[in-house]
Amino acid sequence: MYQRTAAIVGAAHSRLGEIPGATALGLMAEAAVGAIADAGLTSADIDGLIVRGPDDEYCFQQQLGERLGLDVAWATSLDNGGASQPLAVLLAALAIEAGLATTVLCGYARDAWSRTRQPASRKARLNQATHHRLREWRDSFGYFGEPATHALGAQRHMSLFGTTREHLGHVAVTQREHAARNPHAQMRAPLTMAEYLDARLVAEPFGVYDCSLRTDAGAAVVVTAAQRARDLPHTPVIVRGFGSHNNLSGWTVGDHMVETAAKRSGERAYRMADVTPADIDTAQLYDCFTYMVLAQIEDYGFCPKGEGGEFIASGALRLDGAIPTNTSGGQLSEGHVEGMLQIVEGVRQLRHEYPPDRQVPDARLALVSGHGGNTVCHTTLILERG
Amino acid sequence: MANPTSDTAGRLRRRLPRPTAESQPFWDGCARHELLLQRCLPHGHFWFPPANICQRCWSTEYAWTPVCGLAELFTFTVYRRAYAAELADQLPYVVGIVELVEGPRLISNIVGCAPEQVRIGMKLEVVFEDLDDAVTLHAFQPHADRA
Ligand SMILES: [Zn+2]
Repeated sequence: MYQRTAAIVGAAHSRLGEIPGATALGLMAEAAVGAIADAGLTSADIDGLIVRGPDDEYCFQQQLGERLGLDVAWATSLDNGGASQPLAVLLAALAIEAGLATTVLCGYARDAWSRTRQPASRKARLNQATHHRLREWRDSFGYFGEPATHALGAQRHMSLFGTTREHLGHVAVTQREHAARNPHAQMRAPLTMAEYLDARLVAEPFGVYDCSLRTDAGAAVVVTAAQRARDLPHTPVIVRGFGSHNNLSGWTVGDHMVETAAKRSGERAYRMADVTPADIDTAQLYDCFTYMVLAQIEDYGFCPKGEGGEFIASGALRLDGAIPTNTSGGQLSEGHVEGMLQIVEGVRQLRHEYPPDRQVPDARLALVSGHGGNTVCHTTLILERG
Repeated sequence: MANPTSDTAGRLRRRLPRPTAESQPFWDGCARHELLLQRCLPHGHFWFPPANICQRCWSTEYAWTPVCGLAELFTFTVYRRAYAAELADQLPYVVGIVELVEGPRLISNIVGCAPEQVRIGMKLEVVFEDLDDAVTLHAFQPHADRA
């Protein structure tokens, strides 16, 4: 069993938003340099690297290593979609405990907005590598785009539990409130429930505000031994526990789209960390779409399955709510960096870095999630203020 | 099997499937207006999408077998935005996950009723839509007798 020996000691993100001419690799380098400097370390300290880029980038860790002049003991990229980023921290913790590496840089970067400005293929515009084996069964029926996949789950949740568009709207509106206090956020203008409900529909029940943003940005964290972290500038953030679960048989199998892989991933993480949902001070949940926040709030046990809509409508996700969630604005309003910004936000909240209007008071435990890989791969981190 | 619905027959403009060696018999079945699934010989397990092995017992002995074409709607989404240009004049249209009475679920279109009338759990039957391009797609429409 993992002995809670790893800590996050550095965190940073690159410029974030619509950045003309940006490349994923350039943004990754920017974030990596930022995170290493934030940790009070230099390139000579880094002996492990787990980074990921857009799905069509081959061997991204090698590309970054080349750009930064790094030779390291241990390196890889990951292929679990949005679950990959917390998985990188999980693997870094294990690698450090096993002695494979002492200090590991974990990161992700994308140029999702800049791609839309290039005369490129549809695949590049979508920034996804949906395999032809899937597309054979989708394209002819007009099943395009990630919103539909998650809309199928939302529709089923609505049918089973009476969840409404207003319930989903509270996710979007609350996260926008968080983003308004975040100077880096891509979308800071207030969003009202009326605007949410009037928005152009995309794939029912989703309108445009149910969907995450198209972002150019990179983000990174530095993981090292907790013992070493004491000598570094910031309050260390201990990797207290983690878990994962992967419903590899598919999103449309069983009821995976209503009780998601977050459920069992979370149970494992709580057990390892020896905490309960009631102990968690803030949640940074993978929010590719509003519905995924609602589903995970239930799957992580912050409220019973089926009651997420009312729970969220009660203000639970707000800074003073039952479980302050996606306090930077999340992927819906801060920027979509495949869950990497969720890790950075969890670290900053636990360091108590923020002014009072943005800080979760006395935050000691943060739950961070990643979800993806054809919507069935999930990773959970439970982080603790050291 | 029911006939194609009149509002869609022959006029759909869709991206055509690109069959593989594994999936060709499925599309050939559609062309004959037959919904065929693989079924393992040892236990009679059905599966979809096509694969070279039974998901449940890992038998590689199987036969392409016609199914009855009756199904229930597991979930759906109504497209209000055209992600592909050829679909722009077909909005709104319904993409559903249909659960065949034999068990497997597949992606299809729900036709023969207004999007507002589509409900999870509704009883469906397969129809076939012959495209101009000599390709046939399946779709599902409400099954009146079982509603
Ligand atoms: Zn079998």
